[in-house]
Amino acid sequence: MNYAIVGNGVAGITAALDLRQRDPRAEITVISAESDYFFSRTALMYSFMDRLTRRDLEPYERGVYDAQRIRRVRGWAQDLDAKSCTLTLDNGQTFSWDRLLLATGSRPRRPEWQGLDHARSGLVNFVSLQDLDACEAAVRRGQRAVVVGGGLIGIELVECLRWAGMEVTFLIREPWYWPVALSEAESAMVIEHMRHHGVNVVAGEVVATVETDSHGAVTAVSTAQGSRYECSTLGVSIGVEPALDWLRNVSTPPRLGRGIVVDAGFHTSLPGVFAAGDCAELQLPGSAPIVEQIWYSAKRQGRLAARSMLGERIQYAPPVFFNSSKFFEIEYTTVGRFPNSIPARGQISEGTLVFYFRYPGQDISIRIAGQGGAVQAFNMLGSRWDHNQFERWIEQRRSLDDVMDRLHQAQFDVEFGRLDLAPARTAFKQWRAANPASVEAPA
Amino acid sequence: MIRQTLRDRFAHDITNRGVTAWLVSACLFAFYLILYFTEWFTPVARALHLGSKWTLYGTLYTLAILTGGGFMLRRYAHNRYQVIRTICVMCSQVLFAYSLPQFLVFLRQPEYYFSYLWPLKLDYLNPNYLFHLPLPFILWSMLGSFLLVPVLGIFFGKRWYCSWVCGCGGLANTFGEPWRHLSSKSTKSWKFERVSIYTVLGLAIVLTALMFVSYAAGGANPRLAAFTVNYQTWYGLIVASMLAGVVGVGLYPINGTRVWCRFFCPMAALLGIVQKAGRYRITVKDDMCISCGLCSKYCEMGIDVRSYAQSNESFTRASCVGCGLCAEVCPRGVLRLENVTRQARQMQLVQIRGIQADSECRGATMESI
Repeated sequence: MNYAIVGNGVAGITAALDLRQRDPRAEITVISAESDYFFSRTALMYSFMDRLTRRDLEPYERGVYDAQRIRRVRGWAQDLDAKSCTLTLDNGQTFSWDRLLLATGSRPRRPEWQGLDHARSGLVNFVSLQDLDACEAAVRRGQRAVVVGGGLIGIELVECLRWAGMEVTFLIREPWYWPVALSEAESAMVIEHMRHHGVNVVAGEVVATVETDSHGAVTAVSTAQGSRYECSTLGVSIGVEPALDWLRNVSTPPRLGRGIVVDAGFHTSLPGVFAAGDCAELQLPGSAPIVEQIWYSAKRQGRLAARSMLGERIQYAPPVFFNSSKFFEIEYTTVGRFPNSIPARGQISEGTLVFYFRYPGQDISIRIAGQGGAVQAFNMLGSRWDHNQFERWIEQRRSLDDVMDRLHQAQFDVEFGRLDLAPARTAFKQWRAANPASVEAPA
Repeated sequence: MIRQTLRDRFAHDITNRGVTAWLVSACLFAFYLILYFTEWFTPVARALHLGSKWTLYGTLYTLAILTGGGFMLRRYAHNRYQVIRTICVMCSQVLFAYSLPQFLVFLRQPEYYFSYLWPLKLDYLNPNYLFHLPLPFILWSMLGSFLLVPVLGIFFGKRWYCSWVCGCGGLANTFGEPWRHLSSKSTKSWKFERVSIYTVLGLAIVLTALMFVSYAAGGANPRLAAFTVNYQTWYGLIVASMLAGVVGVGLYPINGTRVWCRFFCPMAALLGIVQKAGRYRITVKDDMCISCGLCSKYCEMGIDVRSYAQSNESFTRASCVGCGLCAEVCPRGVLRLENVTRQARQMQLVQIRGIQADSECRGATMESI
């Protein structure tokens, strides 16, 4: 069997290695325009900050691909013909395949700001290896930078530009940093931490115009709120979207939605063609379309897509959500989904309990939500936790009180450095006794 | 790379095998060669009222550990494992490897280092030396090597010695900290390490056995006695002076800080074997690794930690000295150093296997199964 994989990100490479493991005789080809070898996208920032070399970003020794007989081809996929089972690259090379996996990942979402089209230099992002090159070329110590977008890549950019000695303004459109994941209080803690690191954080402002000089170099941005920020470097990280534009004009386009539409077995609408990772849009019966766009989901999907390509019947449904990050020094673990994305007080639906506690004077907080008596989600900042334990508790529908009692079982801090849970438990008891209704506990 | 200020450029150069790094390495080599093979430092030591060049060396060594230790404590103030470990290794150096031996000499006792044990210090099981010591010292030598090492090794892994007590590890984890990432992670190095370290351990054991046989034979076998003395001299020159001192420290700026510990130290070899049988391990949190590689990069023993982390494999490697830096640098808190009892490990293994099977098909139901 002849397998072709477009994209050597985590979904594509995981699939390739899994195919090899399960089918020793398979012919496997991985096509990428971005890099010769798979690298860790999430670690781009560490390469920028001189903590890793480019080579260190590669999770596998280079010999692995030959040893596993995975052929690597450099080029952009340009045409896909499902009738003749071929794939054509921009350099004219044509591949025939028996099974094809599209794992083209995401690309940065491009905003509609006036003047952005004139910008030729000074724009930075952290999605591809080429972004890293551009970022390294664009930074100038002591000069001003603006980063727009209140998500994970945004804060990575902010940290990197600060490290490089730039004056950084972080422009967040929403009322506080990352409202889809953080509550106002949590966000305030993270913003306070960013300010401590010398970042000028501005929330609630929407960029309207980008100014450039005659060479196309970025010079400033203006917001709809009337502020103007001068900058020589502009980070644009307002989210990512599935990279699928090339599929619109191929001989046989698969069905496209926000992403490449797949079923629970990662089959696209074309026979023998699969999609996995950031570029795939799962359409499962009885649920809204799902596009999962994090490292963990891409790895998971790649592994399962490989099995589906081998003929196993796979019925994928996203498991309990979890993610992790690090905001400068604050580590972050989240498991489950909070009932409201913006749980402002009083808006939480009936029967929902959200316990929040911040350790006084420290950048450590815990937030645990329960609904209908069962724990539903965890947001932990500044300490380490075993997300597997949290997942089990959510699946077991344990009560908030029960979870608070056994919280120590999920601790993952370093030896001698375990977070003292007593203050959190005391606060929890008081909160439970005084306020059993559905409100957040005061910080 | 972006390197703007002169200071940044220098910091990058000296910690990334730049010109300055080679210069420092050359200076360290020169220092050790002069120390071991000339008497040039003797007048310096006398002028400083330090007695011998070895006291001067001990003073410099201790100062290096204290300075580097201060740097460690500032840098990792948020990590209590690092703080406690660093304070411990600094105290061990100041007390057992510096003040106490000199105090013993002052009391007209043998200059004895309680923090060094056989087989790192072969003399401490050399009957010609050992049996001339007062009884408490003999007891410590024997109990230290045959009781303390295996028992603590079983319970806590080799780290209790290699990164909490030992002076070699102490220097590596304090003064040598800026160079820890230079250790080679290649499969080639790992293959070399497995041969070299057990070879030195073998040589040390054979030499000790010879010393006992020769001691028991007394003057009955002059050829054996001569051979043993010769062997001892060569071992002292090549292993103790060249590999532990000149190469071990001299290569800090080029090949990282644990060249001696990783490739040659017989004590590390022995403790590694104990560690494999004991409780210590690095626990990996399932499915949380982002394959960034910081753990592997900052492993001074050249262990490819990432390969375990990204495949959800908790592990015990014989070479791991338990410095805990992999867990410190991990941006997702995936790793934790642990001492797990055998039963708990078995239970967790069952659980982990269950979880692994589960995570492999996490979120999926296989109708074909």
